Amino acid sequence: MTDQPAFQSARNAGYLLCIECNKLHDIQHEGYHCDRCGAALHSRRPRAITQSWACLIASVLLLLPANMLPIMTFKSFGKGDPSTIISGIIDLMEHDMLFIALIVLIASIVVPALKIIGLTILLLTVQFGWSTNLRQKTIMFRLVEWIGRWSMLDIFVIGILVALVQLGSIASIEGNQGATAFAAVVLLTMFSAISFDTRLIWDNDFYRHEHRHEDRQ
Amino acid sequence: MHKSAQGLTACHECDLLIDQVPTTPGQDAICPRCRARLYYTTINDTERSMALAIAGLILFIPANMFPILTLKVLGKSQSEVILNTALSLFDGGLFVVAILVLLFAIVVPLMQLILLLYISSSLHFKWGGRLLRYAMHGYQHLHGWGMLEIYLLGTLVSIIKLKDIANLEIGLGLYSLAALIIVFTLSSIMFNHHQIWHQIDVHRSDRAGSKP
Repeated sequence: MTDQPAFQSARNAGYLLCIECNKLHDIQHEGYHCDRCGAALHSRRPRAITQSWACLIASVLLLLPANMLPIMTFKSFGKGDPSTIISGIIDLMEHDMLFIALIVLIASIVVPALKIIGLTILLLTVQFGWSTNLRQKTIMFRLVEWIGRWSMLDIFVIGILVALVQLGSIASIEGNQGATAFAAVVLLTMFSAISFDTRLIWDNDFYRHEHRHEDRQ
Repeated sequence: MHKSAQGLTACHECDLLIDQVPTTPGQDAICPRCRARLYYTTINDTERSMALAIAGLILFIPANMFPILTLKVLGKSQSEVILNTALSLFDGGLFVVAILVLLFAIVVPLMQLILLLYISSSLHFKWGGRLLRYAMHGYQHLHGWGMLEIYLLGTLVSIIKLKDIANLEIGLGLYSLAALIIVFTLSSIMFNHHQIWHQIDVHRSDRAGSKP
């Protein structure tokens, strides 16, 4: 027993954990169904990295139309004033609403950007077997997973403004297709985070332990 | 050969193999490597979840029936309930966005409350619960997709954006929405899925044993 590395993964020990109900099974049950909850059993989520990359790349591509196309148009007495995400924030700042501008800036620009960077780092970690700062990377994943949904803020604001400001020719607001692209960005990054399997980044830790073990011999 | 899975568990975030130690209420079992919370014990969890689900379903009605905000300009007024948000986006041609708003702000929260009521009441009263597994899978997968608190923040941003242009009145719907969000937060804190799966297991074997 003393020859074993300090940390041993369930997979190396011949077990697998049902990710739905957290019941521990023998690794030979891989591909079968959990007898407690009926979910398919996998030691690691199959195709996790491929799915996660696919959603992430699609969301990066959609960032372009999301930020270039107008998300809504303010119409007053026949004149239209389309605004993009960034021009909306600049508008708020010019009207001295700095606090609210900051909230919208964080929700629509900073959070999506950090999410994409964070997921890229995590995926590269798994892909290249990096074994540094694994605990920080796990915390980063939890943050990315939790914070991602707050980007929907701008979408809800557009919806509420469109529903509320319908005063005929005096003033009205309508949504534009930039909002669709932005909603798709948010949705795809959320799917990317869900597809990811954090156990994959910790597999690098075991390799490190095993190599250390070999070095000593 | 290794010993059986009895008495062992693994971390769901880093797959570390761990000896399962019992916890008392208030104690959390934490993964020594990645610091994920593994499992914990709660008292009366089905009873509390059931109470919260019923409270949520009751609050869901005023939150969706009464106006969230009313806008008044030059004698004209326009009220807004949550459903309007989705409908007016749909009328404006943003179909995808409208469906997402409908799902995240109305359908998912309602589904969560119904599933929570079903799970907690069938475990508490030891009812049939033939669909318990499916209900649990559904409930677990919906986690994070109900976005009422973000909707509330969106309402606040809209209020500040419009406050210089027009008169705004806050409706009863907004207060109900705030209360509903508190219920959702409490229910997600209270919901101990590790323990519920165990109770479902016990429930199923009880029923299998009682059959003639």
